Amino acid sequence: MKVLVVNNMAPFVWGGAEELAVHLQRNLVAAGHESEILRLPFQWEPSTGIPAQMLYVRAMELWNVDKVIALKFPAYLIRHPNKVLWLLHQYRQAYDLFDAGHTNLPSGEDGDALRTVIRGADNEAFAESRAIFTNSEVTRQRLLKYNGFDATVLPPPLNDPERFPGGQGEGYVFAGGRVNGMKRQHLLVEAMVHAGPGSRLVVAGPPDTPEDAVRLQELVERHGLTDRVRLDLRFLARAEYADYLNRSNAVAYLPFDEDSLGYVAMEAATAGKPIISTTDSGGILGLARHQSTGWVVAPDPGALAGVIDAAMVGARKGDDYGRAARELWQGLGIDWPTTIEALLR
Amino acid sequence: MRIALCSTFVPFIQGGARNIVEWLQEMLEREGHHVERIYLPEVDSTDSLMRQMAAFRWIDLSIADRVICFRPQSHLISHPHKILWFIHHIRSFYDLWDSPYRGFPDDSYHRDLRDAVHEVDTKAILEARHVFTNSRVVSDRLKTFNGVDSEVLYPPVFDSGRFHCRGFNDEIVYVCRVEHHKRQHLLVEAMRHTRSGVRLRVCGRASNDSYAEMLTGLVAEHGLGDKVTIENRWISEDEKIDLLADCLGAAYIPLDEDSYGYPSVEASHAGKALLTTTDSGGVLELVTDGDNGFVVEPEPEAIAAALDRLYDDATLARRMGERARERLDELNISWSHVLRRLLA
Repeated sequence: MKVLVVNNMAPFVWGGAEELAVHLQRNLVAAGHESEILRLPFQWEPSTGIPAQMLYVRAMELWNVDKVIALKFPAYLIRHPNKVLWLLHQYRQAYDLFDAGHTNLPSGEDGDALRTVIRGADNEAFAESRAIFTNSEVTRQRLLKYNGFDATVLPPPLNDPERFPGGQGEGYVFAGGRVNGMKRQHLLVEAMVHAGPGSRLVVAGPPDTPEDAVRLQELVERHGLTDRVRLDLRFLARAEYADYLNRSNAVAYLPFDEDSLGYVAMEAATAGKPIISTTDSGGILGLARHQSTGWVVAPDPGALAGVIDAAMVGARKGDDYGRAARELWQGLGIDWPTTIEALLR
Repeated sequence: MRIALCSTFVPFIQGGARNIVEWLQEMLEREGHHVERIYLPEVDSTDSLMRQMAAFRWIDLSIADRVICFRPQSHLISHPHKILWFIHHIRSFYDLWDSPYRGFPDDSYHRDLRDAVHEVDTKAILEARHVFTNSRVVSDRLKTFNGVDSEVLYPPVFDSGRFHCRGFNDEIVYVCRVEHHKRQHLLVEAMRHTRSGVRLRVCGRASNDSYAEMLTGLVAEHGLGDKVTIENRWISEDEKIDLLADCLGAAYIPLDEDSYGYPSVEASHAGKALLTTTDSGGVLELVTDGDNGFVVEPEPEAIAAALDRLYDDATLARRMGERARERLDELNISWSHVLRRLLA
């Protein structure tokens, strides 16, 4: 089957959605299909230019394509008789972010008109699609609340699960991934002030801004944690990242209110590592279950210190939690062959 | 510089138009530019054409410092610093109107549509800071139909340094897609009339099996099996380099092509004489009869005579091959020239 993956393009920017589209395309090919990616430029500033760009996507004509898998607004407005959506997100500034006061749409009548146009086009695209999948429960709930369409949750699988076989813990808690205020690595560093002398922490990943790095470095120095907290703040090759994770006792991931299961938690579960998270981490709690697959505590340094210590000393308990995390993850059946099958069903 | 390369495509069809875009991207990135490649779908359907054309006007690429547009109708994109490297019109509304390839009736609806396409095209082309084309043929069409002056910027091949000359065997090679309008059959028929020991090798994937069968049928029917080889398959880049390095000369004899064609430029880089025909169109911008090859009538006998001359006169074959290489410089067929002009 000729499957066209249709995605947005913010010209000269490459991000997670682009990466997902590439892996989707590769896995379609691996499943025996022909597949290409169509990337449609989208510029959301100024917001008054959004309707013209919705129109251009709608006016495009596709030929020689058996099936379309569209990922984002406005790419999913493209017309095709056999279109399915794998919704990563709508134009949130017209929906939940508008309600939260975070929007680039003008206030008053002009903004209302833009929202009406966006909602109208969205509803038309949703109605004409053969099926709608979302990347997370949060995206599904939003779609249901604002547009009245139900969807099936289809979380994006890991792209390289073979890198995470796990292994013997070498006595540290690992916090990987992008470093910023929302991911709250600083809470872990602060927790180390209260943790026992035998506990160790490794934070490794690219800081979003230089300030994000400085903040952690200052905390470590101020509290004299240099011999127990290792900061490796840079972009890591996948092999380096996986090595840190496979050799850890537990993986800590405590973003604020994340939409999805989170790649970091998925990787930890694949490797059979217990997951440390917090009660307000949103989608992560789909994998992190307190005293089952790891520890879920309040987002404060004192509570976190206790579970970091537990991950150090309670090796046997940690092993049990890690095994449970892997079983829970494998039971979800989130892998590329299953995902491709669902999208093309 | 942030440069957006804009072209159109038909999903799942690897047309040659992708080469010029993707090779240019590679060369620009080597120079440190930030390049975004934008392929948009375009279908030559008269009913939806105007709507599709409008779509190009609504795309916002203002974040790019410069856009370079290739295949139609990407030239309709609006940008304050738009450069065109124009490779063809929607030809059924232009030079193919009075031909069997038009594909729709010559009625008032389609004449009005044609006039509208011409008008919109001309306006959009005139918005560009500079208009380049891939050949004299296309530049002439832009002048005739749109009244627009343009500069010919011949598309180079990728990594031309790969091609080299190792010697001269007794084979004329034709490395190209096997298709009726590339006229491999004319070469096979010519081999019935050769008197020397010259041999022919036709290689390339046939898009249509019946044409390939016709070629092998010709070879069998005329008992040419010992001097003609037909390889109906995809030829790898490395194989092509070897074939060109060792051959006596190269043929490229399409019917009325727009541009000179990559096969003839590759053979020139390998220092080999070119054989083409008087009705091959853009190829004649590259090949001059008696200089860097032969330009003969599209008749088997005439082609056979030229093949025999190359075989019989080793000095001539070598000299023409050297001239073929020099001719590339005379026409400025190089990436350094292309980058200098596109970024001026």
